[in-house]
Amino acid sequence: MAKFLFYRLLQAVFVVLAVTLIVSFAIRLTGDPAVMLAQGAGSITEADLERIREALGLNQPFIAQYLDFLRGLLVGDLGRSFMGGTQVSDLVGRALPATLALAFASLFVSIAVSIPLGIKAAVSRGRWPDQLIRVLSLIGLSFPNFWLAIMLVLLFSITFNLLPPSGMEGWSSFVMPAATMGIILTATNVRLVRTTMLDTLRSQYVMVARAKGLSNTVVLYKHALRNCSIPLITYFGLQFGGLLGGIVVVERVFNWPGLGTLAFEAVAARDYPVLQGVITVLSLLIITINLLVDIAYGLVDPRVRKD
Amino acid sequence: MKNKRALAKALAAASALSVSAVSQAGSLTVATPQDPGSWDPIDTFLVNWASLATNVFDGLTYRGPDLELVPGLATRWEELDDGTRLRFELREGVTFHNGEPFDAEAVKFTFERLLGEEGAKGPQRSNYTAIESVEVIDDHTVDFHLSEPDPVLLTKLAGYGAMIVPPGYIQEHGDEHFNSNPVGTGPFKIVDYRPREDVRLEAFAEHWGGAPKLDSVTYRFISEPSTAVAELQSGRVDIVIPPTIPIGMIDTINNHDGIRVVSVPSPTVEAIRFNTQSGITADEKVRQAMIMAVDRQAIIDSILAGEGKVIASFQSAQSFGHDPELEPYPHDPERARQLLDEAGVEPGANVQIDVRGNDATFGEVAQVVAAYLQGVGINASIQPYETNVLLNDIIPAGRTGEMFQQKWGGWTFDYDNTAYLMYHTGERWNPYDSDEELDRMLNAQRGITDRAEREAMLQEIARYTQERALEMPLYSLNALYGVSDRVQGFEPAPDNRLRLTDVSVSE
Repeated sequence: MAKFLFYRLLQAVFVVLAVTLIVSFAIRLTGDPAVMLAQGAGSITEADLERIREALGLNQPFIAQYLDFLRGLLVGDLGRSFMGGTQVSDLVGRALPATLALAFASLFVSIAVSIPLGIKAAVSRGRWPDQLIRVLSLIGLSFPNFWLAIMLVLLFSITFNLLPPSGMEGWSSFVMPAATMGIILTATNVRLVRTTMLDTLRSQYVMVARAKGLSNTVVLYKHALRNCSIPLITYFGLQFGGLLGGIVVVERVFNWPGLGTLAFEAVAARDYPVLQGVITVLSLLIITINLLVDIAYGLVDPRVRKD
Repeated sequence: MKNKRALAKALAAASALSVSAVSQAGSLTVATPQDPGSWDPIDTFLVNWASLATNVFDGLTYRGPDLELVPGLATRWEELDDGTRLRFELREGVTFHNGEPFDAEAVKFTFERLLGEEGAKGPQRSNYTAIESVEVIDDHTVDFHLSEPDPVLLTKLAGYGAMIVPPGYIQEHGDEHFNSNPVGTGPFKIVDYRPREDVRLEAFAEHWGGAPKLDSVTYRFISEPSTAVAELQSGRVDIVIPPTIPIGMIDTINNHDGIRVVSVPSPTVEAIRFNTQSGITADEKVRQAMIMAVDRQAIIDSILAGEGKVIASFQSAQSFGHDPELEPYPHDPERARQLLDEAGVEPGANVQIDVRGNDATFGEVAQVVAAYLQGVGINASIQPYETNVLLNDIIPAGRTGEMFQQKWGGWTFDYDNTAYLMYHTGERWNPYDSDEELDRMLNAQRGITDRAEREAMLQEIARYTQERALEMPLYSLNALYGVSDRVQGFEPAPDNRLRLTDVSVSE
């Protein structure tokens, strides 16, 4: 296990290096932030721009800037935003809990809905509940998330005035963003649960369990579901990583104060340090989750634990 | 027992209700598209800094929505030594939000900071470099010594970098603390700032101009226009400030009960400028012909939903230097064809119009312009660039096509701020033209301290640029505010510097 962890950590370091290098390089292709800062300042002269570049450290070569960033990273210093000099770690620290809360809520919605529906579809394979669930999942898959988000806002905020259209103020703010993400995730997950469950239901121990006269619920939820859980956990774990990527659009529509909104605005404002900070934290997060997924295998499946 | 508890509950609920009703009566929520990140006046470069900070800080002078310059923290001022010295009498009995007194030392500190090391890191300093030093005469009198007269300085003292800051507070807490915990003398004080989320302001009852009518104001940062409009529709936001609302959403707002769009002419103007050095546009007649070929009023009516005004020179009607007598070129395709013929331009001649790729509205405008040019026999192709590439690489280097988009604004409403940068030889925005006469006039007006005389000179410059047809002036744009009917006493600010002192709300 120790050796395994060591390799995973080594791998993580390289992934972070590669990701930050690409991001730092790519955002610098978008243009000069000094010009953004000087916008609206009246008469901009080259000397003004030079002064601003120097203050931001942009007059140094790219490699020097990147090494500076890495040096900071080692001691947990992500630098300062070009927009007003706020500590990036402070901005990320505020945004991360909001994003995680939304991601967990979405995943929770999706799991809570897709497991019972997936099992129902598997059990009634070929009959109308199965057909209906599969058609619904296809419809869910075809929704672009921003469209779904806007439709929900139109219905629940503007027409019925039940839920706040944006921001994060208490549980009612979670309903629409989590539902948007959750519905789209559910559409995929239902199919996955159904397929996995179908495989499991064919296995001999299910037959044995039934032969013992156990109730249908016990057979499905205690015996079959547990054995399905390995592929499901892997998938949900990986999905969590993808979820963090897809959350940008949903966060923007709902003005959610999370990493997605932060990253989006950093790109628009050419705020290099903020974008670098967000991407670094996100990639670290995804790496950690993947690691946790591996560890979770062991907890669920004793066969893996013995290795 | 059970009844008692129910009664207590009901009472608690009733009192909570009445409390919330009272506090609601005096609070307002504003949606603003961007968090400037720092509230320090010397760091700022964004109109959305001003749309909030105008409530927190005061300058020596004040300019409200009517654009008249009136006393602010200075009660009167006079120009001495041929405009190279300005004497200000300061308002007495004014305090900052933290209780620190406002006096001549605060003024001196503010400008030394702006023009010194701290200010050099920010974009504001270059607007105030005419100030050589600030001398304290007594507690409530200061002299500004200028290296040369700056006719726009009094206006510039009403906003942005010239906002007066508290010396004691900044020295004690440092610049970084001041960025997110600013203290000024304005009618509202910042009580809570959550970066990228919102800012809560409370009334500063001791403000020298009298306490504001509202108890509190919350500014929420919402960058996505449809989200800001949804908040307005659901009644959770009272004012959406520019530049948020796109032309296409005006009807959505006006058709919804209880909210409306309020528009006001803004300083933003758009033009298509010409390469006067090469191509067919090097010929003055061709340029004049192209301007006459385009029906600009039709563009405003069809694409801008009427939220704009045809301009004769590259400035809006409120600009100092605007000449109401100066008529725009008429829309006259017949005369245009004639001029092109005289210039020897063959039908089917090609021109290229460079535009900003992220500006969808202007993309439509450019297509209509191209269609009008087609009407007089000129084939115009539209070349979109990534906005910053166009602004930083293509235009200053003189690598545009025959024509290119130029959008311009600026809160001082002084034509000097446009004309000098657009037409003076060697300026960043003037890659092609060099005109001795124009250079002479542009330099001369900067030395004139008499307002009427300088205005006449600026109008002369505008007329000259029109005669030479240095650009195709299109329109000035309106600033669009989304406003709830519960907001009373709201007056839209043309420059986005929204001061909420006289605003109140009704239920």
